Amino acid sequence: MLNRALVFSGLLMLAILLVANVASAQQVRGVTDTEILVGQWGPQTGPAAAWGSVARGSGLLFKIINEEGGIHGRKIKYFLRDDAYQPAKTKAIGKEFIEQIGVFAVVSGVGVGPGMAVRDELMENKVIWVGPATGVYNWIQPFQKYLFAIFPLYDDEAYNLTGHLYEKLGFKKVAMFYQNDDYGKQGLMGVERYLKEKKIDVVAKVSAEVTDRDLSTHALKLKDSGAEAVVMWCMPTHAALILGETAKIGFKPQWATSCTLSDAPFMLQITKGLWAGMIHSNFTELPDSNLPLMVKYREWHKKLEPGERWGVFYHAGMMFAEPFVEGLRRAGKNLTTETFVTAMETLKDWKGTGPPVTFGPNERQGGKHLFYGKVRPDGSIERLTDWVRITK
Amino acid sequence: MLGQLIVSGLAVGACYSLLALAMVIIYKTSEVLNFAQGEMAMVSTFVAFALLESFHIPFLWAVCLTFLFALFLGVFVELVFLRTAKDPTVLGLIIITLGFEMILMGFAGWKWGPDQRSFPFPVSNIETYNFYGLVISRINFWTIIICLILMFILFLFFRYTKLGTAMRATQQNPLIARVMGIRTKRILSFTWAISSMIGAAAGMLVASLGVLDPNMMMDPLLKGFASAVLGGMTSLPGAAVGGAILGIIENIFGGYVSLAFKGVVAFAIIVVMLCIKPSGLLARHYVKKV
Repeated sequence: MLNRALVFSGLLMLAILLVANVASAQQVRGVTDTEILVGQWGPQTGPAAAWGSVARGSGLLFKIINEEGGIHGRKIKYFLRDDAYQPAKTKAIGKEFIEQIGVFAVVSGVGVGPGMAVRDELMENKVIWVGPATGVYNWIQPFQKYLFAIFPLYDDEAYNLTGHLYEKLGFKKVAMFYQNDDYGKQGLMGVERYLKEKKIDVVAKVSAEVTDRDLSTHALKLKDSGAEAVVMWCMPTHAALILGETAKIGFKPQWATSCTLSDAPFMLQITKGLWAGMIHSNFTELPDSNLPLMVKYREWHKKLEPGERWGVFYHAGMMFAEPFVEGLRRAGKNLTTETFVTAMETLKDWKGTGPPVTFGPNERQGGKHLFYGKVRPDGSIERLTDWVRITK
Repeated sequence: MLGQLIVSGLAVGACYSLLALAMVIIYKTSEVLNFAQGEMAMVSTFVAFALLESFHIPFLWAVCLTFLFALFLGVFVELVFLRTAKDPTVLGLIIITLGFEMILMGFAGWKWGPDQRSFPFPVSNIETYNFYGLVISRINFWTIIICLILMFILFLFFRYTKLGTAMRATQQNPLIARVMGIRTKRILSFTWAISSMIGAAAGMLVASLGVLDPNMMMDPLLKGFASAVLGGMTSLPGAAVGGAILGIIENIFGGYVSLAFKGVVAFAIIVVMLCIKPSGLLARHYVKKV
């Protein structure tokens, strides 16, 4: 009798273990019947804090989605962490996302260095990553199955921006001021590539370290080069400092820059008005656009986050998260990492408030378009072109 | 280009000099390196910014109130954090200043946010003066002049006022100073107050030359420290001269040798000075008999 009871309880335990095992195998990390866990790091403090609003903007989009009932019955639970633009901190955040919180996906994330600190670990653990908030090759080379890039490539952006300066505006002597890291260097790559095709050199290549605060020598070098136009690829602080220093020595070239510095009202304020006349590319519809989706976002912004300034980077955080939300919709009720990847690969010229987005089985660079604008003295943007395809 | 590099170097060097002076004043009295100096200056500058932007107080009044705030901040740090330390070693006190630096950084981030701001300075950052072909912006020119005036006031204070003399006496020999009836503890508080006020002046000038944000003093503080080592950690004129020399050397190095390594010149100077003349350019090297 005792033996029979022992065998019975042993079998029962085995059955429970098997069922539990099957159940856990079926469970997708960061996905329950009611929730999807999503993470993002962003510099809320430190030298790149002006870009911290990207992560807060994504949070607003998720709040809107939740207010509207979620996606297939699931609400998005969002985890925002401050990495202060320091890769070592981002690495720790990446570990927290994977090992402690167990997120289904990471959305956006500012910074090449911070992103590179976690890219491999995210990919090895099959964590979906949509829309890193930088446009470097590191996200698409080598091919990463679970990483979907939206931000247009800096190299192509700088190449086309230089083309605009050279062909449309007739500037033949172009100098480059850039941040001495992958972000700045890929901008330099594009400028050099374009000018090389025209068989001319960049008249000066002046770089600054992230921690530099005195750019007076940099300004003198730029002036000494005799450049007619200067392309800058740097952080807002450096942009303000270099404009101030060049103005102090009476050097006034045509400035042009990346969409990373396209928050004109903010830049105009920190440069004491020197930002007026700046030509820059734009990766998203202007925040005051009358696009129905943008109007809807502005209304929700007033309702849910009235304390936040409605600017380009804040909205960009929403724009980077839009294709992710669309991917969740297309993946359907049966949300797994694989169904999500398949769903994302069906996006063809899909349009939110950013560039048209296209992914495919072998295509992970979704955003390939930009448009150019010139900053007016009141901080508004004079749109110079329509969306231009910059990546072949 | 050389003349221009020197002029620009002098402007930024003047700010380094002020920070170096602020550090040296405290170091001479207590042998403590105040690593919170930069953040104390940053918070004072934010106070000035708030007075100007939120309360629309005239610039000179805002500066005076900021100095008053800096004075109380200096006294507060000395009274609350340093004087209450139990049997403190110099290293312990330095660690306390590091901790306070973190507190101030966190406070500024929480109170004013991380965004960069433009500090409203009543001198144009675009208009320039032309001296025999040498272009100097008005803001750079006035930065140098203001720093020179502040240094002159400090010189007069230490040389001709009772309090200044008492501070010098305390710096030279605290025990004898106490025997002579000087309240050395009170003098120590004054030292922190004056150092904090000089730091506030440096902070407002640094913000005027660039942008105001919670991280703005990190680089200038390190350069101020390098200036103090260069000129001599126990010499007030040394600190002033060290800052000017460092600003000029940095600029000339960046202009003619390498921009990429411009930022590390200051630290190379620290290493070289500590190897060749540890007491600095203008300070005497004391040898203790044991």
